Amino acid sequence: MMTGVLGLLLAAVGGLAILPLFASGYLISFTIQVFMWMALAGSWNLISGFTGYVSFGHVAFFGIGAYTGGLLITKAGWHWLPAGLAGCLPAVALALVIGYPCLRLKGPYFAIAMLGLNEVVRALVSYFEGFTGGGSGVSLPPILSIVPVYYAMGGVAVAVTLLTYRIITSQFGLRLLSIREDEIAAEVMGINTALLKLYAFLLSAAFPGIVGGFYAWYASHIEPLSVFPLLTTITMIIMCLFGGQGTVLGPVLGAVLLSVFQELVWARFLFVHQAIFGALIVGVVLLMPRGILGVLQERYRLPRTI
Amino acid sequence: MMPVQITGMMVLQMVVSGLLAGGLYALVALGLSLIFGVMRVINVAHGALLMLGAYTTYWLFAWFGMNPFLSLLLSVPILFVIGAILQTLFVHRVVYAPELSSLLLTFGISIFIANVAMLAWSADYRSVEFLTGSFILGQIAVSKPRLVSFAVALGLTGLAFLFLNRTKTGKAIRATSEHRDVAQVCGINVRRIDWITFGLGAGLAGAGGSLVSVMFAVYPEMGQIYVFKSFLVIVLGGAGNYPGAFFGGLLLGLVEGLASLFLTAQLSEVIAYILLVIILLVRPTGLLGGRT
Repeated sequence: MMTGVLGLLLAAVGGLAILPLFASGYLISFTIQVFMWMALAGSWNLISGFTGYVSFGHVAFFGIGAYTGGLLITKAGWHWLPAGLAGCLPAVALALVIGYPCLRLKGPYFAIAMLGLNEVVRALVSYFEGFTGGGSGVSLPPILSIVPVYYAMGGVAVAVTLLTYRIITSQFGLRLLSIREDEIAAEVMGINTALLKLYAFLLSAAFPGIVGGFYAWYASHIEPLSVFPLLTTITMIIMCLFGGQGTVLGPVLGAVLLSVFQELVWARFLFVHQAIFGALIVGVVLLMPRGILGVLQERYRLPRTI
Repeated sequence: MMPVQITGMMVLQMVVSGLLAGGLYALVALGLSLIFGVMRVINVAHGALLMLGAYTTYWLFAWFGMNPFLSLLLSVPILFVIGAILQTLFVHRVVYAPELSSLLLTFGISIFIANVAMLAWSADYRSVEFLTGSFILGQIAVSKPRLVSFAVALGLTGLAFLFLNRTKTGKAIRATSEHRDVAQVCGINVRRIDWITFGLGAGLAGAGGSLVSVMFAVYPEMGQIYVFKSFLVIVLGGAGNYPGAFFGGLLLGLVEGLASLFLTAQLSEVIAYILLVIILLVRPTGLLGGRT
């Protein structure tokens, strides 16, 4: 069973690696979107899926990464690749500053603190107009080819997924899951929950920062409203929940399925699409809180590390 | 920026405006605090319910020219029913589940309601132009809609306290919030208390929305900011501490008023956030004490 899954995965990765050689521009840009969501949903999974600490403000890391990438390219003249990678630095720094106090808060306190965080970062970015361009944002030079971005985003998506696998098969991962199941018991067992949560949070913030950095280059224009939308956080959450939180391939599956649905069915009607996302969250929480993979794991005794 | 001389009168003006805003925060936060106290559920949809209250008042005003303060007689019961339905259909299934579930569930409900409102009523800003202008007291200007809203908010908060303290159902709500299992053993039907509480919380959010609509623009996402503010208020006052929600509301209004005077209005949200994090760290039980 496991080797079958592995073979399938390798074939998929191989196919995706050569996709830009023959695919249309449309398919490539669609796949970039899917990679982006895989990385974002996978990052949300690292903190919220593993520890049960719901982050309602994860898009803050994406947004701050986007601004870092955008400003390094336009103001410092950096190449887009290092500029995008550098997006992780302020994201991790923000996660450290905010995570150190906030992760000591239990359940709902953390969630709402994160909801506030995104508003605050957006307010600050708009406020420092001279540096960030305020409401009108940052315009970047147009990109000549999206193929490099395709590989860059794909690389981040693969990195997040591999890291998730690495974590879930390690003691670190087991300990994180023990926090989700019963934090007090975990503490009593001698697990330093505060430190572990912080590590997970930092990892979980780094990738949205990089994705944001690449996004700035890809989108050619960023502004506070386009890089800090609540909808991005909602999408990360629902993709991860739908595929299966706390699993390796859950966010991947969720990102692929929901991106395809989004593209085929409801992309043109923004409010319908958001309302459906809302209804989906309610449905998934009530009917299959462990997501598709969680259900499959239970029913077919699939390994926990899938 | 030009440095502006801050006079004592300006401070007094901001204190008054801040307290007026704070009365409303107290009313809205009381609903959130009640639900949290009884069910340990942070109702992220609280802001969306507030928005529905605001639209109720807006439409009654736009169609029938109804006095927005009288429309409370409709917005509160309508929201009570919506709250009770939400509780019975969805929320009661996650009362004993991990917090993650109830947070995500109410988050989903919130997104759903806000976007259905966008579909139905568009994202346009609307306003209820009923009371305008200000009373001038000495050198202090007090906006009429704010003053009347404040008075009504205070009255409603008082009524809610009377209900909680004097009626049998109110006492049962407080008992359930003290200790759910013991209350159940003592013969309180906690399932019934749950939907009454959720209805009451939603009703208070709706009342808040009706009052907000007299002062500020009405649009589908107007409630979002109130979720965070109400949460801040119950943290200030102590979670599950109902009088605390009242003082917390006034305090938040005061802090915001002064922050907008000494800094800028844009950054007052940032100040409120920093305040939240500091309080949570230093006194997680709230400034006035409460239960963790």
